[in-house]
Amino acid sequence: MIDNSPEFRVKRGIGLTLMLVLLAFAAVPTLWVLILSFRAPMAIFQPIWESPLALTLDNFFKITRSNFPSALMNSFITAGLSTAFAMIVGVPAGFALAKARLSGKFVASWVLLLLRMAPPVGFVIPLFLLYVNAGLIDTYMGLVFAYMTLTLPLVTWSMWNSFAQVPDELIEAAIMDDANLMQAFLLIALPAARPGAVAAAILAFLVAWNDFFYALIITRSGTATAPVAVMNFISYDSVDWASIAVASIALTLPILPLMAIANRYIVQSLSGAVKG
Amino acid sequence: MGRIQLKGVQKDFGKVTVIPPLDLEINEGEFVVFVGPSGCGKSTLLRLIAGLEDVTGGVIEIDGADATDQSPGKRGLAMVFQSYALYPHLTVAQNIAFPLRMAGLTRDEQARRIDNAADVLNLTDYLDRRPKQLSGGQRQRVAIGRAIVREPSAFLFDEPLSNLDAALRMGMRLEISELHKRLETTMIYVTHDQVEAMTMADKIVVLNAGVIEQVGSPLDLYDNPRNRFVAEFIGSPKMNIITGAHAEERQATSIGIRPEHLTISSGSGDWKGIVGISEHLGSDTFIRVDVAGVVDTMTVRAPGKLRLAAGDTVFLTPDMENLHRFDKTGLRIK
Repeated sequence: MIDNSPEFRVKRGIGLTLMLVLLAFAAVPTLWVLILSFRAPMAIFQPIWESPLALTLDNFFKITRSNFPSALMNSFITAGLSTAFAMIVGVPAGFALAKARLSGKFVASWVLLLLRMAPPVGFVIPLFLLYVNAGLIDTYMGLVFAYMTLTLPLVTWSMWNSFAQVPDELIEAAIMDDANLMQAFLLIALPAARPGAVAAAILAFLVAWNDFFYALIITRSGTATAPVAVMNFISYDSVDWASIAVASIALTLPILPLMAIANRYIVQSLSGAVKG
Repeated sequence: MGRIQLKGVQKDFGKVTVIPPLDLEINEGEFVVFVGPSGCGKSTLLRLIAGLEDVTGGVIEIDGADATDQSPGKRGLAMVFQSYALYPHLTVAQNIAFPLRMAGLTRDEQARRIDNAADVLNLTDYLDRRPKQLSGGQRQRVAIGRAIVREPSAFLFDEPLSNLDAALRMGMRLEISELHKRLETTMIYVTHDQVEAMTMADKIVVLNAGVIEQVGSPLDLYDNPRNRFVAEFIGSPKMNIITGAHAEERQATSIGIRPEHLTISSGSGDWKGIVGISEHLGSDTFIRVDVAGVVDTMTVRAPGKLRLAAGDTVFLTPDMENLHRFDKTGLRIK
């Protein structure tokens, strides 16, 4: 039934306005950055209506000559590797936690939750001292391991939940069909929990991709990731706003398709895709 | 092939014994039904045979060989689960092929067996579908298909019909019975529904709190229950149980009489009662009679044509030939 009462219309109006305000709050800065990235350096501080046509692609060409592209590549490598390793370890771990008759699951759940909730600053000082001694400062491995403190608990935790939704009978049926545990896991349980696995991988990738803090502490020039490299556009005497804007766009673009996929799979994994 | 023997099989979960040591012999080609109220250990017993649970004590022999420590897949048994447990990401054909893949059969042999099973189970048109595109009955058939392609020495069914509606359940009951006739393979079937047990089984195993109360053919259990539990569990509507003076008159702690072994009359009889609710099934009418001083209500099976109104006075007479007497431990007095 469609409610057309004035009271409802007022409520709906308030709701819509609130939504638009929130949307503007989130979208306007992004739009602004997008516009900035095309503005000529001279025009950046002018109101846009004074020189609406002062547009250029120079900012983009300029940034390709900086070290930002290699930093972007570093971001891909470290976020990708830390996600891959977290999946290789975390997915079977989630399966074991969900399906094995283990004692101490309660403790495991608390430890995982604690690791997910703990602020990185709590890890970074001991990690830094350890890395200095182990020679892992400014190495890919060092950063990948550091990211795994974020991605591994996240993947394990969410795969635990995903596998818990896969009925035990499915795995038992596979075992009865003479599958060994590895086959039951790879051929039956994992495909059944696929939406959860895709969502976990994307979320893990985003956590590592968006990190600034670890990379700032652990990397130097060699392996600096894109968020850290953005800082290089801020020098002692000036701030290169145009380059920062381009870099922001470059950091956002690759995650857009991921967000689209993640959105679908997160909804699927929440709505229990294993039915039937 | 398909002889299963349980020797002193016991199962504990922690400190709780769910199945005290138990012996049971299932012969080749038999259709055996484990029946009992929920929580009686019938599914656990099936899972012990399947190997999905480890026994705490005792030995399970399949075709004379000790299978106690064998993995489930190596026991040569196939299982149909209550939820069907179809692999959701695989098509019907792939679901049926899965055990064959695991057994390392050639693609040709796989295809031949899948076609065969699909033919037997009327699934040929659905081979490319996913489980979620099938109805409950079709899913059930796929689950059975996945079991029969393995050509197992015995089938294990864990309440396979309880997710189906009543009409479908009756159809599937017949199909499974026919399948058993055709394959002549041992089948072990778990259900809480005594109608399924009575209609399908060669041999019924009545379980109560992990203990076998009686093993026998359906009619044997119906006519000669070993104790009050079996007498009350088998048969629908339930056997009428009378305790007190009327039982003591017959040198028993309690006596039991099935609804069809009571004659109802408006003139005279042993027990006088008042008609309560009548259930008209067409062919039969089940009449609940309040028999003051004997028992609260007795169920009587009467011809479908009989019309009695609630509140009518009637007289009931038990057929003495079919009266069961039980002692104070519940055992039947012969």
